[in-house]
Order: sequence, then C-alpha cells, then structure tokens
Amino acid sequence: MKNKKRNKSYKWSNRRFLIQFGAFLLILIAPFLNYYLRINFVQGWYQSISIGRLWFVSPLEGLESILTSKLIYLPLLIGMALPILLALLLGRVFCAWICPISFLSELIDRLIRIFSKKRYRKDLIKLPKRLFWFSLIIEITLAMILGTPIFVFLSPPGLVGREIMMAVFFHTFVLEGIVVFIVLGLHMLTRRFFCRYLCPLGALLGIIGAKRRLVVIHNPSICNRCGMCKNACPLDLNPTKGDSLSAYCWNCGECIDVCKKRALDFYWAELRVKPLCNTSLHQVQNDTQPLDESR
Amino acid sequence: MNTSQKSKEDKEDSYTRRDFLLTASIGGFSLLNTFKSGDIRSHSPVKTNVLRPPGAVCEDIFLSKCIRCGRCVEVCPYRAIKPLDIRYGVYAGSPLIHVLDIPCYLCMKCVHICPTGTLRPVAMKDVRMGLAVIDKHTCITWKGEALCRTCYNVCPFKEKAIHLDELRPVVDERYCTGCGICAHGCPVTNKEGLKGINIRPIYAFKSQR
Repeated sequence: MKNKKRNKSYKWSNRRFLIQFGAFLLILIAPFLNYYLRINFVQGWYQSISIGRLWFVSPLEGLESILTSKLIYLPLLIGMALPILLALLLGRVFCAWICPISFLSELIDRLIRIFSKKRYRKDLIKLPKRLFWFSLIIEITLAMILGTPIFVFLSPPGLVGREIMMAVFFHTFVLEGIVVFIVLGLHMLTRRFFCRYLCPLGALLGIIGAKRRLVVIHNPSICNRCGMCKNACPLDLNPTKGDSLSAYCWNCGECIDVCKKRALDFYWAELRVKPLCNTSLHQVQNDTQPLDESR
Repeated sequence: MNTSQKSKEDKEDSYTRRDFLLTASIGGFSLLNTFKSGDIRSHSPVKTNVLRPPGAVCEDIFLSKCIRCGRCVEVCPYRAIKPLDIRYGVYAGSPLIHVLDIPCYLCMKCVHICPTGTLRPVAMKDVRMGLAVIDKHTCITWKGEALCRTCYNVCPFKEKAIHLDELRPVVDERYCTGCGICAHGCPVTNKEGLKGINIRPIYAFKSQR
C-alpha cells in the first residue's frame, strides 16, 4: 500500500517541471519588462542572460565565439564560468531542469498524459547513442571551417527566447523558429530525440559533467529488475546497467520517481564512483551520502 | 500534361512550403557564398545608412564574435537595434541599425551589456559607426536652393562634427560618430532613396587586427 502511494507521487518530476516552468517564465516575462516598463534587470535568454550584474553565457556559444574569432574576451570567460561550474558539479542539469525545449517537451508530455493513460511513450526511432558526441564534433568543426558560429542562430533553446523577444519587440516571428517545431515534432516520434542524439550543447555539457558529483546510483541488492526505470528514462538509458553514471545521464530523476523499490536515488559522490557492480556497492555506500534522508 | 497538372496542384496546395523552400535556399546560398568567397564584405548587410550598433568590432570578425543573444536589442531604449533573420544566412540574429528608420541616440547602453566584446565598451565620443557624408548634389543648401541646416541642428556634436561654412554644413571626420541622427533628420531624399547626408560605414570594413 505504501509502495503504491509513493509510486504515484512523482516528486522529482514535479519539482523539475516547476523549475523548468520558472525558468521559462523568466525568459517569457523579461522581454515584456524590457519593452513596456523599460526595466533592464533581466535581459536575454539562455544564450546569454543577465540578472542584474550577473551574466551567464552558454558554454557552447561562448566556445564557438572564441574558436571562430580566435580572440579571448575576459567578461565572456567569466560569463561562461558559472554554467561550466554547474555542469562540472551537477552534470547536464541545464538540459533537464532549465532548458526551454525541455520545458516545452515536458509540457507536451503532460498534455498527452491527460488523454492517454500510458505515462511513457514508446520510442519510434532509435539511433546509436554515440551520435551525440559526433554532433558536437561536427558542429564545432563546421563552425571553424565556415569561420562563423552556427549554433548561435540555430540553437533551439536560444530560438525559443528569440521568438518570444521578437514577438514582444517587433510583433513578428522569425522564420528560423521552425527549428523549434522540428525539434518538438521529433519529440513526438521519439522522446527527446534532439536532446538525445543531436544537441551539441548537451554534448558539451555532458563532456564537462562526465565526472560530476551529483549522480543517480542504483542499488542492485534492493532492485527487483522490473525495468520501469529504463522505461521511464527520457534518454533511453538503463540505470540498472550503470548508465546513470555515464556522461549521457542528465540527472532528471525520472527513474527515481518510478522505482517502486527505492533502488535508485541521487547521491553526492565525494569520490568518483566506478560503474556499479555487486562487489563495489559497499564502497559506494561508504563514499556517498543520500541526499534525501527523510525517506 | 500530367506534370503541368501536378505542378498546378502543388501551387495551390503548398504555397507555404514553396515559400519556405525559397527562403531556405536563399539562406543556404548565402551560407555557401560565405564558404566560397571568404570575403565577407561582398554580401554583408552593412551598407550606407545600415550600420552595426556603436562600439562594434570590424565586420570580418563581427559575425564570429557575436553570439546573437539579443541583449543589445532588448536594452536599446529607442528600439533602434533590430536583429536580422534567417534570410540573411549566417548573419541571422546579428544586430543592425537602420538609421533612416530610427537612428542611434548614443545612450551607450548596448556597449556595456554585450557579453562577447562584439560591442566594445567605448565612450560616447569614441563611437565610430560610420561617417556622415554630404551628397552635394542632393543637399538643398549645397545646391543653393534653400537655407536648410537640419543636420547641423540635430547633430549631438554640433559645431564639432558638423559646422557651418558659409551657411553650408560641413562634416568633420575627427568628431563624427556616425550616429545617423543627421541622416534621419534630413528632409530631402534623392531617387536612390538616399538623403542629402548619409552615413557610410567606412570603419566597419577597416581591419582592426
């Protein structure tokens, strides 16, 4: 009975949606404040956003700018520092918790869930996971060959922000916004198709966060191999096989929510944990502390 | 006959698709052009009276430095800065000022918020967006038809950037910032759509490295 109740709570999923919604609201309201009230406190979107004097620059856009212009500008590096630090410690959390594309995908999922009982859709197209890294390599190489950054004007999360800004400022939409619809269309075929296989920004954050501290750890001694976590994972990863420790995992916590046996949880890894097998479990449990001890 | 019928159907059905393909191919071609000719000057959207925001780096590295974050567009209180769209290919998202629509009033807000150094934090008097050039065949004062001195009156660096020489306006390139207020104010327009005084982006194509 208790298990059933917990299974219905979807704690991390709801928290994540709330944060995504807040992050989306920020870039939705900021243009209105800038345009109508002329409050410049928050400017920009997730390519570069400033909150007061605090500037963030998306690492891939900054990297492209440095690589193609071959010039280094200190404020740019400082703006990139915080997102990189975030990725170093927490992994690809930008993708799962903040990115507006993630929010829109989640929103679509939640709308579909109203009409269908099935919580997780099946993936219609599956590609090799390694494509993810190639997308980053190809993108950076192409940008350097052309001498102009490409992701800066075609990045889906950036385009969401630009479309909102264009709508508020010039009462029009720009044509490249089609990219957003393509990405969301692909999401209808396969959950997070773009995020999973094609997003160069996600790949860069994944590489930065390969040795992250926040990890989802699977405890095989409790696990009953029901396979729900693999079903739930939007990136088609299998936490029971140690995929949650790989660079692909974006710490969304979807698998933690569905696990009836509580075999999965977020851990703050003090030391780098090797992919889990039965023997190394004790070592892991000694090294790490559960984030949420109230359970 | 069959094919013509088909094309007719296509025309009726997929106007938007055709529209999209056309625009996409223009975008693709401009991308190819960049790839082909290496010289960005030939197809840069920067031209007379169409300028980059103040403090901009020269045009050959502008594109690679700018991350199209749009913050200069958001911060501009006069809405002078407008971003380009995908029809300009790799120029998409980069900011431009059409001085004949809205000129730059040199409030210097945008130069301080650019995160990439594309707009460098320069002082107001050091802005060089372009140079105002008087077209003596269009300007009615120079033609001797009237005594207009709008450009002289509206210039933020009056007596320095534009002074009157025998009641005719003369630009001093040592002080002209190229803000475009004079071109915006100029009452005459010639056949080519240019004004009696125009801003030529001469600094945009001067390599600063």
